[in-house]
Amino acid sequence: MHKNKTSQDQNSNGKLTRREFLRRSAVLGASALAASCAPGALPQPPAAAPTEAPAVKEPVTIKVAHYFDPLQSPAAQANLDWLNSVVDGFKKENPGIEVELEYFVWDQIDNRMILDHQAGVAHDFTFSSPQLMPKHFEAGGFLDLSPYLSQWSAEEQEDFSWSPVWNKSRRDGMQIAVPTGVHTRAVFYRRDKFEEAGLDPDKPPETWEQCLEAAKVLTKEGQWGLGMYFGPTRANMEIYFAPFVWHFGGDLWDPETKQATFASEAGVQAAQLAYDLVFTHQVTPEAVIAGDYSEVILNGIATGEFAQAWGVGSYWIQPVQDNWGHLENCFPPSVDCTPLTGDFYVTPTVPQANFTNAWCMSIHKLSQHPDEAFKLLEYTAKADNLFRFPDAGLPARLSMWEAPEYQTPFYQTWLEAARKGRPMPATAHYPELADTCAAALQEILVQKSPIPETLKKFEDEWNAKYAGA
Amino acid sequence: MRSTLARSMDRQRGHGSLYWLNKYKLPFLFLLPTAVLVIGFLGWPMLSILYFSLQKTSLQGTSTFVGLGNVRLLLNEPRFISNLGTTLKYLGGNLGLSVPLAYLGAILVTGKLRGTGIFRSIFLLPWIIAPVVSAILFRTMLDPRLGPVAQVIKWLTGKEALFLVDPDLALLTIILHSAWRSFPLEMLLISAGIASIEQELYDAAKVDGAGAWSRFRHITLPLTRSSLVTAILVITIWTLQDAEGAYSLTFGGPGYATEVTGVRLFKEAFIYFNLGIASTIGSALILLSVLFMVLYIRGLGMGEEV
Repeated sequence: MHKNKTSQDQNSNGKLTRREFLRRSAVLGASALAASCAPGALPQPPAAAPTEAPAVKEPVTIKVAHYFDPLQSPAAQANLDWLNSVVDGFKKENPGIEVELEYFVWDQIDNRMILDHQAGVAHDFTFSSPQLMPKHFEAGGFLDLSPYLSQWSAEEQEDFSWSPVWNKSRRDGMQIAVPTGVHTRAVFYRRDKFEEAGLDPDKPPETWEQCLEAAKVLTKEGQWGLGMYFGPTRANMEIYFAPFVWHFGGDLWDPETKQATFASEAGVQAAQLAYDLVFTHQVTPEAVIAGDYSEVILNGIATGEFAQAWGVGSYWIQPVQDNWGHLENCFPPSVDCTPLTGDFYVTPTVPQANFTNAWCMSIHKLSQHPDEAFKLLEYTAKADNLFRFPDAGLPARLSMWEAPEYQTPFYQTWLEAARKGRPMPATAHYPELADTCAAALQEILVQKSPIPETLKKFEDEWNAKYAGA
Repeated sequence: MRSTLARSMDRQRGHGSLYWLNKYKLPFLFLLPTAVLVIGFLGWPMLSILYFSLQKTSLQGTSTFVGLGNVRLLLNEPRFISNLGTTLKYLGGNLGLSVPLAYLGAILVTGKLRGTGIFRSIFLLPWIIAPVVSAILFRTMLDPRLGPVAQVIKWLTGKEALFLVDPDLALLTIILHSAWRSFPLEMLLISAGIASIEQELYDAAKVDGAGAWSRFRHITLPLTRSSLVTAILVITIWTLQDAEGAYSLTFGGPGYATEVTGVRLFKEAFIYFNLGIASTIGSALILLSVLFMVLYIRGLGMGEEV
C-alpha cells in the first residue's frame, strides 16, 4: 500500500508530484521550526563526532569587506585583482570555505562595521583603518584576535609587532587588527624639472629650508614648486597640518587631559607655514584649498603642474610608475628599480613627524565563522601575498625589508620615511578632531582670519563636546 | 458620509462617541491602514528622534538622559548658528533661482510650440540623475585645472576660477546645483496646474482685449497659485533636508562655509555617531519645515483652497 502511494505521488519520470512536494515541504518546515525552537537551537559547542560515519562538513561562506572600486581608478582595479588572486589561492587551500566579497567606500568601511555591529548585521573579514582603532575599541565591533595570534610563533609575531600600526591596534591585551603594510608619505619630485631649474636631482632637499628654496626656484608660469593639499577632507590634517604641528614640537591632542591642543604655539606656526606657502611665497596654488586629496595631488603630478608634491603616499608608487612613467621596475619592488623623470625624498621634518598608517585586517565581532575568517587573515598575511598587494605601500613584515628588492636606494628612502613615522592621536573622537583641524586651517586660508584666535575657536568647539572623553 | 450637523444632532440625542464609532465603523476601517502606516513610518520615527534628542549616546550604543543639554550645546556653538544661516541662504538662493525658471519652463512645455516634447524630456534630466553623481559632475566641471567651466572663465578673464575655494562662490555653487536639480519637479507641478486651466478663459479674455501679460497676470498666475505653493513647499522641505548634494560637492567647506544643517546632521549621525546631537538637529529641521509650511499656506492663501 505504502509502495503504491509512493508510486502514485511520483510521475513516470520519477519526478515528485506537486502533492508529494507540498507534503515533504510541510514535514521539512515543521522539523526545521521544531529544531529552531528547541533549547539547543543556539550555537552549541561541537558535539562528539559520530562513530559510524564521519559527518560531511557543510561548506562555509565568509564575507570579505573591501574598498576596491574598479571604476574609481586603475589602482583600485589592481588592488581588486590582487584580492581576487588571494581569494582564489585561499579557496584552493580550503575547499570547504567559500568567499563572498562586499564592497564599501574606503572612508566608510570602518563606520559601516561599527553601525552594522550595533544593528546586529554580521560580517566576517574586513579591512580597517588604524586611525579609527580607538573608536573600534570603544564601539566593540571587532573580535579580539589575541587568542588566535597567540598560536603564532614568537618569530612570526615579532615580524609584525615592530609596526606602530600593530601597536595602535592593541589595548589592554586585546589585538583587534593586523597590518597589511606601511603607508607613509614622502616628497615626490621631478628630476627633469630639477635639472631644468639648475638644481641637482641627485641631491634632493634634506631640510625644510632647502625644500622651500627649491620650491621657489621651481615655481614659474604653469608650474608650482610645492604641491600640497589644504582641502576640506581629513587628509588636510593628517598629511599636512598635523606633521607641521609635530615638526614645530606640538601635538593635536593631549592623552593625559584628553583635550585638543592644536591651538598651541606650534599649531599657530603650522597654520602660518601653510598660509605662507600659498600667499607669501606663492609656491603652492590656492586651488589646493578645495577638492579631494587624491584629485589634487595625483592631478598635479599627472599634469606636471607640481614640480614637487608633498605628502605622496607609498600606496601611489604603482601609479607614479605605471600611469606617468616616472619610475621603472619599482612596483612590484625589484632590484632593478630605477627612478627616471621622478623620484622621492624623505619629508624634511624633524623625526617622528611624518604621518604613517596602513590598512589593517580585522574580524567582525558578529562573525558567524571567525575561525574561517582568521584562516583567510592568516593566509593574506603570508609574505608572498602582502608582497604583491599594491595598497600595502611598504612591507608590514620586518623580515620582508631584508629582501634584496627593498635594499635599493629607492626603497631605503621609503624605509627612512617610515622610520620617521607617527600615528594619529589615540582619541575615539579622531574623525571629529581631524575634521575640526581641517576646517580651522581652511578658515584661516580662505578668510585670512587671525590664526591664534581662529585655532582657539575651533579647539574650544571640539573640547566643548569631547574633552575628557 | 454624515455632515457635521448630523453628528451634532447625534450628540444632542445623547449618543456618545462609542456609539458614533460603532455606527460609522466602515469609514474608520478604511482609514485604518493609512493611519497605521502614518503612525508607523512617521509618528514613531518622530517620537524616536525626540527621545534621542534628549539623550547623549555612547559608541557602545548606551544612552544617558541629558534633557535639553544637546539643544543648549548647539545654541551656544557658533558653528551651528552658522549652519542655520547657511541653510537659509541655501534655501533662499535655490527657490529664488529655480522657481522663476521652472515657471518659464512650465509655460514652454505646456505651450503649443513645436518640439515641446523634446524640451520636456531635456528638462527632466537633472531630476533623474542621482545627486551624488551630479555633484561630482559639477565638481569636475569646476575643477580649476581640468574643468571646462573653469577653463572657459580663465580664458575669458585671464584669472583662475576658484569656485570651491571662495566661501561665497562655493555657496553659490551648491545653490546652482540644487536649483538645477529642483527645477524639473517644480516645472512638472506648475505645468500640471497650467494644463488644468480651461482654454475658454483665455479665449474670453482675448475677446475682451486682454494682452499676453494681462492673461498671464489675471488667469494663469492666480489659477496656478495652488501648484506653485505645492512646488515651493516640496522644494523647501527637500532643500532644508538636503545633505548628499552639498556634501558630495564641497564636503561642507571651505571651513564650514557650505555646511548646511543637513550636512551637519549627516556628519554627526553617520561619521561621528553623535546620535543625540544628530537627533536634535533633525528635530530642528522638522520644526523649521513645519514653520515654512505654515508660513507658505497662510501667506499664499493656499489654506483657503484645500
